[in-house]
Amino acid sequence: MKELFYKFLSLRWFALIRKEFNQIKRNKRLVIMLIIPPTMNIILFGFALNPTVTNLQLGVVDENQSVESRELISALTESQSFQVAKYYLSDNELNDDLTAGNLDAGLIIPNDFAKKRLRGETAEVQLIVDAVNSNTATIVGGYASRIINNLNQQILRANPPKVSLQTFAVEQIPRKLPNITPHVALLYNPGLKNSWFIVSGLIGALLVIQGSIVAAASMVKEKEVGTIEQLLMTPAEAIEIITAKIAPIFFLLTMDIFLALFVAKIAFGVPFLGLFVIFLLGGCLCVLSGIGIGTLIATLAKSQQQAQLISFFVMPPLVLLSGVTTPIEAMPKWLQPVTNVNPIRHFGIISRSIMLKGTDFSILYPNFLALATFCIIVVSISMWRFRKQLQ
Amino acid sequence: MKNATQIQQSPETAIFVRDLRKSYGKLEAVKGVDLGIKQGEIYGLIGPDGAGKTSIFQILGGVMQETSGEMSIYGKTAREARSFVGYLTQAFSLYQDLTVAENLRYIGDLRLLSKREIEERGMKYLRLFDMDRFTDRLAGRLSGGMKQKLALACALIAEPRILLLDEPTTGVDPVSRREFWDTLAELSDQGMTMVVATPYLDEAERCSRVSLIFDGKIVETGTPKELRENLGLQRLELRADDLSKAEEILNQVEKIDDVQRFGDRLDLMVADAKGGEKLTREVLQKEGVAVEGFHVGQPTLENTFVAVLRDLEGKLTAPPFPRKRHFQERSPEAVAIGAENVNKIFGDFIAVKDINLAIKYGEIYGLLGANGAGKTTTIKMLCGLLPPTNGVIELAGERGSTRSQHVRQRVGYMSQKFSLYDDLTIEENLDFFAGVYGVPLADREEKKRWVMEFSGLQGQEKMLTGELPGGWKQRVAFGSAILHEPSVLFLDEPTSGVDPLARRAFWKMINELADRGVAILVTTHYLEEAEQCNRLGFMVAGEVVAEGTPTSVKAAQTGHLIEFITDKPQAASNLLKKEMERWRISLFGDRLHVVVEENVQTGINNLKKRLTEAGIKVFDAYEETRSLEDVFIAVVESKREN
Amino acid sequence: MRRIIAQARKELTQVGRDKLTLTLALFLPLVLLALMGTAISLSVTDLPIVVQDLDNSPESRRYIEAFRNSLTFRIVELPTDEQPEESLLDNHARGAIIIPEHFGRDLERGMNTEVQFLVDASDANTANIMRGASTAITLNFVKNMRSAIAVPIKADVRMWYNPGRESSTYIAPGMLAVGLSLFPPLLAALAMSREGEQKTILQVYVSSISAREYLLGKIGAYWLIAVGEWVLSMILAYFLFGLSIKGDPTPFVVCTGIYLFTTVSFGAMVGVAIPNQAAAIQAVQIAGFLFSYLLSGSIFPVSNIPFPFSIISRIIPARYYIVVARDALVRSGDWSGVWHIPLILLGIGMFFFMVAWRNTRKMQVNA
Repeated sequence: MKELFYKFLSLRWFALIRKEFNQIKRNKRLVIMLIIPPTMNIILFGFALNPTVTNLQLGVVDENQSVESRELISALTESQSFQVAKYYLSDNELNDDLTAGNLDAGLIIPNDFAKKRLRGETAEVQLIVDAVNSNTATIVGGYASRIINNLNQQILRANPPKVSLQTFAVEQIPRKLPNITPHVALLYNPGLKNSWFIVSGLIGALLVIQGSIVAAASMVKEKEVGTIEQLLMTPAEAIEIITAKIAPIFFLLTMDIFLALFVAKIAFGVPFLGLFVIFLLGGCLCVLSGIGIGTLIATLAKSQQQAQLISFFVMPPLVLLSGVTTPIEAMPKWLQPVTNVNPIRHFGIISRSIMLKGTDFSILYPNFLALATFCIIVVSISMWRFRKQLQ
Repeated sequence: MKNATQIQQSPETAIFVRDLRKSYGKLEAVKGVDLGIKQGEIYGLIGPDGAGKTSIFQILGGVMQETSGEMSIYGKTAREARSFVGYLTQAFSLYQDLTVAENLRYIGDLRLLSKREIEERGMKYLRLFDMDRFTDRLAGRLSGGMKQKLALACALIAEPRILLLDEPTTGVDPVSRREFWDTLAELSDQGMTMVVATPYLDEAERCSRVSLIFDGKIVETGTPKELRENLGLQRLELRADDLSKAEEILNQVEKIDDVQRFGDRLDLMVADAKGGEKLTREVLQKEGVAVEGFHVGQPTLENTFVAVLRDLEGKLTAPPFPRKRHFQERSPEAVAIGAENVNKIFGDFIAVKDINLAIKYGEIYGLLGANGAGKTTTIKMLCGLLPPTNGVIELAGERGSTRSQHVRQRVGYMSQKFSLYDDLTIEENLDFFAGVYGVPLADREEKKRWVMEFSGLQGQEKMLTGELPGGWKQRVAFGSAILHEPSVLFLDEPTSGVDPLARRAFWKMINELADRGVAILVTTHYLEEAEQCNRLGFMVAGEVVAEGTPTSVKAAQTGHLIEFITDKPQAASNLLKKEMERWRISLFGDRLHVVVEENVQTGINNLKKRLTEAGIKVFDAYEETRSLEDVFIAVVESKREN
Repeated sequence: MRRIIAQARKELTQVGRDKLTLTLALFLPLVLLALMGTAISLSVTDLPIVVQDLDNSPESRRYIEAFRNSLTFRIVELPTDEQPEESLLDNHARGAIIIPEHFGRDLERGMNTEVQFLVDASDANTANIMRGASTAITLNFVKNMRSAIAVPIKADVRMWYNPGRESSTYIAPGMLAVGLSLFPPLLAALAMSREGEQKTILQVYVSSISAREYLLGKIGAYWLIAVGEWVLSMILAYFLFGLSIKGDPTPFVVCTGIYLFTTVSFGAMVGVAIPNQAAAIQAVQIAGFLFSYLLSGSIFPVSNIPFPFSIISRIIPARYYIVVARDALVRSGDWSGVWHIPLILLGIGMFFFMVAWRNTRKMQVNA
């Protein structure tokens, strides 16, 4: 037994691994890098990327000043979607403030509003939306028409429309109105918390980014300092050197999976409905993909800062075209198929489905397959290149 | 220990320092230094690594605040004096991505020189340094020696009255070093004051005065001559048939202060030359070692330095290396490192050209050459890190493919760059190398202990390697390169930046390994230590141009070396350089070396006449045996001129 | 002044030599702008939905047709053996419509009928849009059915400044600000920390250049590069997104100048504080990019940023510059809405500069 233990201790691979761990142990920056950026990213992205539209600044020109016009204004502000910022006397004043960007929307009620209402005619109002932010504008438009239609329903129910008596008999007045009431059920995220969307998607992006940065830094360092030559003169095989370098990084980065889930739970209460094991499997594939990308970068770079600059070329596209912060359906059509080769996209789907929907492996296997394929390709290319550079 | 005489401030004092102290946190690096440097002096600061030299330079240069003390440079503070002080830092503080001209222009602009001044002075110094062809070359593409000369030109462009030079020639080859010092000597003649730190003690010989610094304090100050004389010892050169045995025996003799091996001879330090010679002959005769020759000489500054340091630090003993591996008996003809017509071509640049080598087990082979001659490329090819463009490599019994695990297990390699992990402790580094080479677990403790003792770092196992001064790190790196008892060892400038005392321990170990049958290939810029190699190869521009034992290489030189003692050595050197090939003349401190082809006496007479005509007094002239450095310069320079 | 120019000239020469940095300096902002302007959008279209029609009457088919005709939705086949919920669960569809039995009959009789929409709300914003769109389609369908009856109130909704509701119109000016808050400071920080790392800073210390001159020289050089990046970005924005300066250009130009000074000063401050190039890059990346991207209102309105972060948001220069950029590129604004912004930007920039200056002031080795 003791002999076996000694034999294990004198294994070359063990010496290589222990060296890596000793180096990591002293590398305060690495430890900080493994903890601070993921935490900060999750918290910042989760809190700051908030599309919820409330308290929109509404400017009002009420030329009518009647009970009816006030009824409309209060219907709009009741739901807290809108908030009256200011009343204006003329359209021009309202326009100026809209142009200056002080208002999100403007409502103009003409002075014949009450009169038309009383006559049962359609009373028209103007709603001007600052559409510079197209997303907000879409949502504002939706809110406004929903609110006004609800109001219309109420009015119609209270005062059934009187059709002119001149031509029709009283009996012919339809007593009831056909109507469809939409019941919208918001599944998986009933509170419409955008943070759930962002955070569950972001985890994959973070794992890939972290994996690549840490791997690139560790690989380039040996090259930059020149100790790689020393290492190459030892009897260690290239494959031993590479795996010994990757193993500790991989181990540490899997810790980041737990960290990310922990922060997501504490800061945003993101649920976790599915099986943890398959989530972990996906996470590990993500980390490996990241390490593969990082090693590839390391084979292209001569120094630490070059490695980081190259990752500037690689990382933003990967993150932006993954659908984790903005929906893929909103991208240009020609760009959408491209996202299929992005590992972050696949893990984004995996993590969202597992966390929010509790989807199981039998449904997610195509994404796993895609992720694993990417992982295998990238890792083998990078290993091959690194090995070639070693020899 | 003699304290420096009380320093007085006088009108010709350029730099005046009293009780200068500098602390970094708890660590006190400079512990009360007094200096009085006169105008026009070349003032040398010598001392082991970490003695506080760089701190003193940074304070004098006005780039760091002293903790306490009094200081004035021509009556001004260091900060105010920056406008007339030039400072050459240890690392090349050039912008590698700017051209030679752009570097000069930037520094000139910062010093508010006019455009014309920058151009005129820049060209003047570049021409002086023989670099005017390279104005458009990127600084990063210059060789080490040229970089230092450019850095000097940058420091000189503002025509400072004082020049601070912090180890300007570390890692620079002997030829460039000598040119560099010739330039300094000329500038000093023009009245410039200089403070220089250097690990090369032959350079320190050229200083007007030298202070020896140890542990943040000045231990001794004086002219090189005074320092040598203060030692009160004489040097005996001994040649014998079995040097290892002679060294071992003489080390036991109490009356002999110091024994140092120099390749084909031993240097003995004794109080009395005659008595010492007699004693040595008696002792060696008793042991059956035949003495082949004796020569009495002046001690060098290096002898002095070592003797003083030994008093301060205690003797550095290299403990016996714990041998575990049994070397197989090989025929003495077996080739350990071989190369047959090896070439290396990068693009259209021929880095190495037709190298042929056959280094046997037990042999120390020294590869010497100027910066950029192709030594490191050759080593990398020999140990398999770099494939040769063509030719066959043989290493530890395998030909052609030398990258097998089996070969690597038997090869030790210490690269020029630091080969240790800075972010591991010393112990972790040793554990790593022991582990990766598969040193049996049972032997590891003993071997680690040996490295720690060898490096003089007992008890410091938990120290981070990155915190070690360069010289100490080299010792640990050397130790870890031989932990696994290789049979072939490559050492690329192992002693660069290592103080003389530690260098001796290195060479003692190198000799011991060779005696045990290890083949060793070593490069160095210290030609004194190259004398200890069994065979030498001189590389110039990628080719081995001369090869042989130190003695045979010297013997292959034609002509005679004549040493002149004159009143104006610099003027004499300048004069003769104009009339003869440059490589024939070199300055060693106050002595002038000239190589003549004719008969010794005619040569002396002719040159004496020439110098006297120019108003230079010749006090003495005689033939001197050539040092390896003289040979090196002659070989390299004459090849270059062709 | 001569020293400032000398310092700036040296920096520019160095950037010119370093091909990688030069590429980075000129192309990355453009790549990022193009990529972000194109890819970042929240205007989802063609969201897959499934329909379970339990009525199968002419009315229900007409109702489904209304959804098929909308840009937002795309109807996909509901597998026969699957419940609508399952389609959502396996990411087959993003929403489901369940039309009850007697849908057509109830409508004909003038009665109320209820339709169920199941929405995958894991993406909250898209869910919101789906909810809005499905409601709007339904109401429109009902309105057409009752054409005889006058609607009491009709809102005439007008989309101003961006009638086509192009996402890039909103996003691109934001990304312009984000790009300019990342790359110029990155270069400045690298140049600063490189001198510390390679010890060339000693050469600067021994010459008697003052800290102010040294910093201004460096900042000046990278400011010029940043202006170049800005010009290139504007050209790209014109060709790619059709954005150009509308109305009075002076507020935009003045604010750009000050904004670039602010971001470059930020980089200089980081570079002085961290004499390690790799670490400096990371610091700029986090502070310059992450904060500018997330806390400046580049994608979602700043008013949505919750409390503790809303404070940080107020010291992010990009937040102010974005306002000016959108004003100039989309609304044809003038000085009236933005007169205070140059002052705020200058204030933040001076703060960065002073911190950098305090740390170099002594022009000596720290020990």
